Amino acid sequence: MGLIKIFTKAKCPKCPAVKEIGKELKKEGVPVLNYDLDTIDGLAEASFYSILSTPSIVIEDEEEKEVMSWRGVVPTLQEVKQHLIRGIS
Amino acid sequence: MATVIEMKEDHQKFKEEAETTDIALFVRTSDETMLGWDRQRIVDALMRETYVDFDTAKGIAREVEDLIATSKIKLITAPLIRELVDTKLVERGLEQARKMHTRLGMPLYDVDQLILHPNKENANVPHGPEATNLTLAERIKKEYALLSVFSQDIADAHMRGDIHLHDLGFIDRPYCSGQSLEYIKRFGLSLPNSIAMAKPAKHPEVLLAHMVKFAAALQSHFAGAIGWDSINLFFAPYLVGMSDQELEQLAQMMIFEFSQQAVARGGQAIFTDLNLYWEIPKHFENVPAIGPGGEFTGKTYRDYLNESQRFAKALFDVYQEGDGSGRPFFFPKPLVHITEKFFQTPGHADFLDHICEVASEKGNTYFVFDRGETAKISECCRLSFKLDQTDLEDAKQPWKMRYCALQNVTLNLPRIAYLAQGEDAKLFSKIAEFVEMAVKAHLEKKLFIEKLLSLGEKGPLALLAMDRDGSPYLRMHRASFLVGMVGLNELVQIHTGREMHESKQAFKFGLKVIAHMKLLVDKFSQRYGMRFVLEQTPAESTAYRFAKLDLKYHSPKSGHIVKGDISKGEVYYTNSTYLNNSAVLNPIERVRQEGLFHPLIEAGALTHIWLGEARPLRSSLANFVVKTFRLTQNDQIAFSPEFTTCNSCNRTNRGLRSSCAYCGSEDVDGITRITGYFTKISSWNKGKIGELRNRYRNQTFLKEKEEGLAVGAS
Repeated sequence: MGLIKIFTKAKCPKCPAVKEIGKELKKEGVPVLNYDLDTIDGLAEASFYSILSTPSIVIEDEEEKEVMSWRGVVPTLQEVKQHLIRGIS
Repeated sequence: MATVIEMKEDHQKFKEEAETTDIALFVRTSDETMLGWDRQRIVDALMRETYVDFDTAKGIAREVEDLIATSKIKLITAPLIRELVDTKLVERGLEQARKMHTRLGMPLYDVDQLILHPNKENANVPHGPEATNLTLAERIKKEYALLSVFSQDIADAHMRGDIHLHDLGFIDRPYCSGQSLEYIKRFGLSLPNSIAMAKPAKHPEVLLAHMVKFAAALQSHFAGAIGWDSINLFFAPYLVGMSDQELEQLAQMMIFEFSQQAVARGGQAIFTDLNLYWEIPKHFENVPAIGPGGEFTGKTYRDYLNESQRFAKALFDVYQEGDGSGRPFFFPKPLVHITEKFFQTPGHADFLDHICEVASEKGNTYFVFDRGETAKISECCRLSFKLDQTDLEDAKQPWKMRYCALQNVTLNLPRIAYLAQGEDAKLFSKIAEFVEMAVKAHLEKKLFIEKLLSLGEKGPLALLAMDRDGSPYLRMHRASFLVGMVGLNELVQIHTGREMHESKQAFKFGLKVIAHMKLLVDKFSQRYGMRFVLEQTPAESTAYRFAKLDLKYHSPKSGHIVKGDISKGEVYYTNSTYLNNSAVLNPIERVRQEGLFHPLIEAGALTHIWLGEARPLRSSLANFVVKTFRLTQNDQIAFSPEFTTCNSCNRTNRGLRSSCAYCGSEDVDGITRITGYFTKISSWNKGKIGELRNRYRNQTFLKEKEEGLAVGAS
């Protein structure tokens, strides 16, 4: 099964909304990894995916390949779920 | 000239009259006078230069005099006397006084070597009397910096090779700068200490002459590169009504003037960067244009698109032709900014083809990618100044857009990995320690430069202190303080066992190291209210120096890590955040992967594509450039072909050869890019020669592109 990577920063106004999406998906059993760009690991991972703005969400397949991403925007929970199903199936 | 003291034969008499100072010794001073021996001079020097008390000074002078008297030496030099005094200070445990009393200079043997043999620390310095003068002066200033400007722990860290303090020989100047032609257009050439003042230029040729003179004056106040922003645009108001032939003549004058300035400082060409735009950069569109006589023309720069573009084209026509023997021009370097607006500006496709043809033929073109709202001025081997909101406000008065990097301090990353012995926590804490050392070095240099600047237009940095527009020429509040790195690839290799191109985990670990450094410099910037930024150090000699020092201090481990050929002494670490030079990667993949580091390295980054003998089609390169802009985060790329130029028949051909392909002469020079500029390979240091041998030139891939296969980013 693939996973979701969420990139946020402490002082970013739209980030809490994306964190909420992450929490919801986690409840539903989707593997979610949170990265804070103010930390070393977070910034390094963001650099690897060329994430230049927050919040960002990346959906990866089982081989860690990017299936879909939202960069600097907040998608709806529904949108993320749709792509999750498409990407992972 | 060293002061020499000659001792007459009867030192016995001197011994007997030890209480007096009128003994039979004569001092040949550096101001060419003969002075008799006077013990009091030792006392005076100690009192003047150190803080020892009078009795100690007297005691030391007496002991030294006794020593000289009993030594039976026929000829003693002033440096020897000073050394004897220093040993007496050491004997008394007066370490600080000894340091203050140090004589700076060089051994006779070293000076002899220097005069006879070329200095390979900087391939841009030729060998000749002027260069020797420069190197001699640099040596003394270097020693001065390490003893007097920097604290002992920083100086020791440099000597050990934990860090490298760049351009110590130019300690009394900032590192490098970004300039605006608008300054001399508006204020003319009115330099402190100059014997004549020139009003603003009325003709393009005169403006060019002012620019060249000003660049030479700047070169004597900065250690490194002089970059000029939007040069084709700022010349444009002077070019109205000029024919193509006149324009080409002017372009030729500009390039030859800057490429033949090898008569300036130490015979060193001025490291000049010309920033060029096909479009009118957004931030200059509505700015009132300055024209002949320094007057506003009543138009804005958006009205000069045609002249600006014609001049850019003319410059590249000259680059394409090369110098008198068809060689690429080493300087000035043309940096073309590729932006969203570039692609929206009519004629961009033809211009891109043109500059790509030059890139393929001669290698001159640098492609600088300004994505989104980013705007920057690039210079040096890769340094750039990103413009923030204040700068864009300054752009309304472009003569204010003057930038500098005060200093560059590079960290020896492999050293950190040796010290960490495989422990993550130790590694990351050592990185923090090294970054903190770099910050401390910057604070010390800043203090020193501020001291010199405080003397204003009567001080040694008069040019930088001059005030023609309400603020000093050097705008200290906009200065950057560079923290560079060498050998990320080897750090990762030592710590994880794999090089960055060998595994995704190793690559990600490299990103983690640079992310850590980025967060640290941001934190220090906040703490000190200064602009600490990461830069990919060009490391022309540092990559060699660090490798040599680690072979000394971290053997045998380092023997398995350094790149190059140990048996020939051609050792080096991989520059900055680059992947191994010999890694077999297709160019777009190298550009993409190396580009992932670039957003973290705010002060500039670059990827080289080594062409070797290949001469790809301009359309292939244009395609490559567009893909790099659209699909990667890479900041800047340059294509580097290789040439052999013949000193017998003066012809130049492609590839590196041991003899001329035309006349067979073996009196040839290889030419290619060393770090951020072209130069003759014979002037390279051993480390860079080692790197050159290892460079992977993916000629097959480029040939495939010529045959029509698409360049795809993976």
